[in-house]
Amino acid sequence: MPAYQLTVNGRARTVDADADTPLLWVLRDTLGLTGTKFGCGQGVCGACTVHLDGKAVKSCQTSLKEATGHAVVTVEGLSKDGSHPVQKAWIAEDVAQCGYCQPGMIMSAAALLKRKAHPSDHDIDEAFADHVCRCGTYPRIRKAVKRAAGGVK
Amino acid sequence: MTSRRDFLKVAGAGAGLVLGFHLEAKPRPGETAKTVFHPNAFLAIRPDGTAQVTVPKTEMGQGVRTALPLAVAEELDLDWSKVEVVTGQPGPDFKSMQTGGSTSVSTTWTPLRKAGAAAREMLKAAAAARWKVEAAQCRTEKGFVLGPDGKKLGYGDLAEAAAKLPVPKDAPLKKAADYRLVGKRTPRFDGPAIVTGKAIFGLDVRRPGQRFAAVLRCAVIGGQPKAWDEAKAKAVQGVKAVVKVPTGLAVIADSTWAAFKGRDALAATTTWEEGAARDFSSPALEAKMRAALTGPADDARREGDPAKALAAAAKVLEAEYSFPYQAHATVEPMNATTALSEGAAEMWMGSQSPNRAQERAATALGLKPEQLKLNVALIGGGFGRRLGTDFSTEAAQVAQAAGGGPIQVVWDREDDLRHDLHHPATLHRLKAGIDGAGALAAWTHRIAGPAVLRSWTGGQKAPSQAATETNGAYDIPYAIPAVAVDFAEVEAPTPLGWWRGIQIVPNVFARECFLDEVAHALGKDPLRFRLDLLGDRGIVKFGRDEADIRRLKKVLEVAATKAGWGRKLPAGHGLGLACHAYDGRTYAAEVAEVSVVKGRLKVHKVTCAVDCGLAVNPAGLEAQVEGGIAFGLSALFSQITWEKGRTVQTGYHDFPVLRLADMPVVETHVIPSAEAPSGMGEPPVPVAIPAVLNAVFAATEKRIRKVPIEDGLI
Ligand code: FES
Ligand code: FES
Repeated sequence: MPAYQLTVNGRARTVDADADTPLLWVLRDTLGLTGTKFGCGQGVCGACTVHLDGKAVKSCQTSLKEATGHAVVTVEGLSKDGSHPVQKAWIAEDVAQCGYCQPGMIMSAAALLKRKAHPSDHDIDEAFADHVCRCGTYPRIRKAVKRAAGGVK
Repeated sequence: MTSRRDFLKVAGAGAGLVLGFHLEAKPRPGETAKTVFHPNAFLAIRPDGTAQVTVPKTEMGQGVRTALPLAVAEELDLDWSKVEVVTGQPGPDFKSMQTGGSTSVSTTWTPLRKAGAAAREMLKAAAAARWKVEAAQCRTEKGFVLGPDGKKLGYGDLAEAAAKLPVPKDAPLKKAADYRLVGKRTPRFDGPAIVTGKAIFGLDVRRPGQRFAAVLRCAVIGGQPKAWDEAKAKAVQGVKAVVKVPTGLAVIADSTWAAFKGRDALAATTTWEEGAARDFSSPALEAKMRAALTGPADDARREGDPAKALAAAAKVLEAEYSFPYQAHATVEPMNATTALSEGAAEMWMGSQSPNRAQERAATALGLKPEQLKLNVALIGGGFGRRLGTDFSTEAAQVAQAAGGGPIQVVWDREDDLRHDLHHPATLHRLKAGIDGAGALAAWTHRIAGPAVLRSWTGGQKAPSQAATETNGAYDIPYAIPAVAVDFAEVEAPTPLGWWRGIQIVPNVFARECFLDEVAHALGKDPLRFRLDLLGDRGIVKFGRDEADIRRLKKVLEVAATKAGWGRKLPAGHGLGLACHAYDGRTYAAEVAEVSVVKGRLKVHKVTCAVDCGLAVNPAGLEAQVEGGIAFGLSALFSQITWEKGRTVQTGYHDFPVLRLADMPVVETHVIPSAEAPSGMGEPPVPVAIPAVLNAVFAATEKRIRKVPIEDGLI
């Protein structure tokens, strides 16, 4: 098996696994980064969302090979201490219920705000179209995104 | 409450687990067992002043790891920033950790406050002894005991002395007017861990040397593998073994992905003995349910003479309502991790029934429950699914068959939908008799479907079956002279389970929509009609429950007023409402504003008024209302159907869950109350569906009597 090189949360990592292994399982099982969640493995729940070169991608639909040579950021790497504006907004709006879907939501929110500093409601709808929160935290997600947008300017 | 002494007595009987429990408050470096004040199972105060509160219920997003510690912290006057929360473990201290039925706050509120109050009195006594003053001269504030002449000592400094004092039995409880934390908005305790990815759910458990397993189960309910070729699975890189377990074939691997791939490779080689359920289908079940609408049934409530009243009625309205099988579809799929050693086992999982899970897994392993240590992880969505013990027992069996573990059994999304403990379909036939004066004189509601309660009673028919299956229907709160509500059981081979809102969801949907039909047929305003039917009554008894009609009227009036009931609406918009007294404990009313444009339904806003007694944490309570409404609205478009003994649906693509863009604005009004707190996890769910469908009628004059809403129906 060839070894694949990628950067995860700023750290160079070498991973020995099949090329088709989804990045999700590389993160969770090989690198022990369990903040990125498994919800469906079918690309329709968004729980596994991470950043690949700053863009939100579903890590269950991204193979190790595709991630090779790129910079991966997971929820653990978004900030050192929970101080990213999105994380702070999430706490301020008390968004989480069970919390399981939240790392994926937070990664999508951070990518959205990087792309668009002041997203409209429509932008927010679209950014979360592929995300499921069975606990129904949606109203607070919307508020938290807007709060984070106000905070970053 | 178990006092410290009772606890020690219990402990003498089975010393093994006591250690397990004490681990929870074990001394940290620099501390000794003597310096930690651990007056009861719920609480430990360390020399540095941190207070550890052990929660006797499972956190699944409903906020018990925030609301329950608040009860202790309030009575003990803790500094909230110095509170640490841990979840209890099933065993002698926590004999019933079962978390369901929206009962966590109501059942633990008093014991937890008493635990806090007892500790407060002990700390005061310890300070008084040190200062040589009377305890009555001391008071507590934010982690300190304050005495005369400006004396002040932190709880941590008093922990060791307090630990030597007797536990008072009847320490006084605070008056609500003196509450400092309860009733204020407190953010979720686990919030910071969640947003940084540090929160550990069952699926995040990682033990040294851990392996992963996926189980190949027959898609047909109850089917078993007949023949298979393990070589195909073992050819997959990372796969270690294939073992037979009662539920199917487990593929053990060194990563989750390898386990999944191995399982898929194995599936391609496997032939099945599909068994007796292979012909089961939704249309066949529906035909049986329809027949049962007119056959024999068990009475849940019978008052007056409904047959006579219907025969004598000037007008009889009749309608059939239908609600499908539903799945829980928690975002975290089922999983559990097991490690076996000689004569002992340890498991990690999210469970709503930790004691049952412990007992059943231990039995499957040939152990006594106290030989199995069960660690309750955070739950990535419960909704009743994790009251089941199927997945935990299976995980124990996999570890045993594979020679010990630690092994994490992981379900994928398809496993989760196919092998859920589904909530069953029901058909409803309702009749309303209107007398010559235009009054509602008779009401009958027949419910036909599989009985969920049997899943909880080992397949037995419990005496309370009819009441349980008609919950939400038999306790129709309106004053009607003749009422009959009954349940006609229809057998189905599908494993069943509780679901957020239980049978109350379909039953209140049928009841509140049909009542709306009656109001419209009589030309009456649906709000006025309900208020008149509720009448000037106080506490009314329905079989095993009672409800305070005044509280129900109040939520109805508040929701309607706040939503602007009767106001002029934009074209294509409609308002609808519904209300219910949930198990006679929590009162909820919702008004939905919807529009239907070119056949597309949009729910703009839901205004909700709730009365759940004292609101311990209003922030958590509002979250439950928002989440409950989302759960209810999801059900308008989702269903599980059966074909050839298996579910048609295999993922979120064909079992849709509400997404952000479709979430309405939710406005919550909490009725101030001094009554004991009740639950809020489920009560917002059942009223959401009829409120929306009644609004659809107001907007379109189309009456939807079948969930899910079929394409093109509106
Ligand atoms: S786990 Fe990747 S989208 Fe659901
Ligand atoms: S918070 Fe539970 S799934 Fe989103």
